[in-house]
Amino acid sequence: MGKEEKKINRRDYLKYTGAGIGGLIVGGALGYLLKPKEVVEKTITAPGVTATTTVEKTIEKTIEKTVAITATPTKPPVELTVFSLWGATEEERFLKTLEAFTAETGIKVKHVKQPEEMRMLVPMEFAAGRSTADVIMTPWIAWVKDLAKEGHLIEVTDLLKKDELIPIYVKLGTVDGKCYAAPFKAWAKPGFWYRISFFKEHGLTIPTTWDEFIKLLDTLKGIPGIEAPIASGDTDGWPLTDVTEAFLIYRGGPELQEKLIAGEVTFTDPQVKAIMKELADLLAKGYFSEPADWTSQIDKLWMGKYGIYFMGNWMTIMPQVKDVKDLGFFPFPGTKGAVGGGDWAIIPKYSQHLEEAKMLVKFLAGPKAQEIQVRYGGFLPTNLKVPEEAFTPADKKVVDFLATVKVVPDLDDAVGGSFLREFRSQLKLLWVKPDALESVLEILTKAHLESTKKA
Amino acid sequence: MVKKASPPVFFYFLLPSLIMIGIFIIYPLIYTFCMSLFYWKGRTIVSFVGISNYLDVFGRNNIQEALVHNFLWIMIHVPLCTILGLFLALLLRNIRGSSIIKTVIFLAMVIPPVIGGILIRFIFDVDVGVVNAVLGAIGLVKPRTWTNLPDTALFSLIFGSVWLWTGFSMTIYAAGLEAIPKEFYEAAKIDGASDTKIIWHITLPLLKPATITVVVMNILYALKIFDIVYVATMGGPGSASTVLALEMYIEAFYNIPPNFGAAAVIAILIGLLTLVFTIFMRRMVK
Repeated sequence: MGKEEKKINRRDYLKYTGAGIGGLIVGGALGYLLKPKEVVEKTITAPGVTATTTVEKTIEKTIEKTVAITATPTKPPVELTVFSLWGATEEERFLKTLEAFTAETGIKVKHVKQPEEMRMLVPMEFAAGRSTADVIMTPWIAWVKDLAKEGHLIEVTDLLKKDELIPIYVKLGTVDGKCYAAPFKAWAKPGFWYRISFFKEHGLTIPTTWDEFIKLLDTLKGIPGIEAPIASGDTDGWPLTDVTEAFLIYRGGPELQEKLIAGEVTFTDPQVKAIMKELADLLAKGYFSEPADWTSQIDKLWMGKYGIYFMGNWMTIMPQVKDVKDLGFFPFPGTKGAVGGGDWAIIPKYSQHLEEAKMLVKFLAGPKAQEIQVRYGGFLPTNLKVPEEAFTPADKKVVDFLATVKVVPDLDDAVGGSFLREFRSQLKLLWVKPDALESVLEILTKAHLESTKKA
Repeated sequence: MVKKASPPVFFYFLLPSLIMIGIFIIYPLIYTFCMSLFYWKGRTIVSFVGISNYLDVFGRNNIQEALVHNFLWIMIHVPLCTILGLFLALLLRNIRGSSIIKTVIFLAMVIPPVIGGILIRFIFDVDVGVVNAVLGAIGLVKPRTWTNLPDTALFSLIFGSVWLWTGFSMTIYAAGLEAIPKEFYEAAKIDGASDTKIIWHITLPLLKPATITVVVMNILYALKIFDIVYVATMGGPGSASTVLALEMYIEAFYNIPPNFGAAAVIAILIGLLTLVFTIFMRRMVK
């Protein structure tokens, strides 16, 4: 009888202890969350300083927080954080521009390279009402417009001298008449790059007509060591979209690209279909290599395994290019347009250093910052005041070519949505299976219509 | 007579765990389901659409293909990993130096999946890939980048994944083999049983718990596969190697603007498939 009583007492003891601990935890949590807060405003003044202080009183303690200081003799040093996608050589050169800004203003800048997933990670920060970056450099103008419409960005219209900048670049960053993206860098996809010495060695000439272009490809095919006349780059498919868009522009004019971006025509349009069929025929004839890592394809171009390679103007600064003087390019013969894009600087409204961020963005859009980059090569400025003598000979050729054609935006970047991924993915399929053209066009049309309707 | 503790006592001690499960499992589950019932524009809810997102997502070709690919992954990956793992465990049992060999084989398992995906790209590359080196030496086929071709991309990833996961199966089976009492084998040998009969009638039945563990883990892995596909092929060429988790990622984080409704639907689908398989396997165990 005595032992049974002891067991009952132990059980009750455990029950009450468990209930007590559980109640304490729940009660403590609820109490913290529900306790009232008193807010008292108090103005503190000191010689040379005007400050407004908001005091939050909680049951436990009083927290004093200075929320606005209009002038202070002892302001802590500011360090701006800049995000961009640039690494390696591009980053090194961009750092020089940032150093010039620091030398001029005394404001330190820290650059943090970001992966492509930045376009997912940054909005998540914004949704939480914060931003690690004070300035973000980005080529995704559709993304910038979305962020601006959602109210996450600071307007930069007053920071820009519009008469100094290429108008289309300012226009692309404008939403409802307000500019949210300051143009910094321009880039273009001018044409096929080749080794000048390779062409000389094999007696090849730059084609000026379509027939000459096909003849060049056939000649390249017959050269020993050549795996394919045209190298095809790969990562997630963007190099393939570049050459496809250039071909669409070549055959259909830059207006066709603009219509595709606006959704006025799609991939089942007879003209577009015919151009894509012609491209599929070129693929079927083996003029293009299988897609492979786009930077290693530059190596192979240099080793003579490919004859030509369609790539953007940044080709001139790629480390795989052993001698930039040996590098030349030519567009599709007689083309009237070229795809161009840029990198813009945006300022999140959650930046802790808005004034300093504006100073940096104003500097980046100015001629001095861009001239530093231009002198390195592989950089096309958006500021028209950058002197001509700053350009490298290779870049000068690109600039001179761009002056003769109409520059249009990149199709998949401008359309966005599901089309961005499908265009790249389906072209990877078309490249290895040209007879899949019909199904490719069907899928592209669906994604294109979906994405342009929602744009 | 000892009385069992009354339920309320257990409840109080379970309460902290229940709170954690509520915050990190139940709440996200309910929220994801709610997300799937709305039309999203970017990161903003536009309107309630009910099951329209489900009809839209299930009607898409790439989702149907992704579902098929996940099942293919299960059908090929699971048996291969299981059989290879068992074979290696039996082969390396009681062999001098087997622990070193097992460690080397298991190393593939400790490689981060993203690195594994990059390695798989290189393994099947036309210029530097070991597969092409072997096939080219035999003169069997013309070297290609197998992850580039629509007919071979998915299978390249699956076979690459088998290489990564066989170490796990082998380790589970090796542990299972150690747990089988030696007396069973001795008794069988005394009775004159051949090696094949010993494996078939003694080893395999007693390895049933290990087999179930290997199969369940492999199935769950195959249903949730993402990293390797993302890094190696991004679901391409076309949608030749896409899987459900990759489609979910693309909807939520790749497309501009994102479509959280569609991504939530795919997440629910993956969750349901995982739940169905888990319940099925638990019933098989019983």
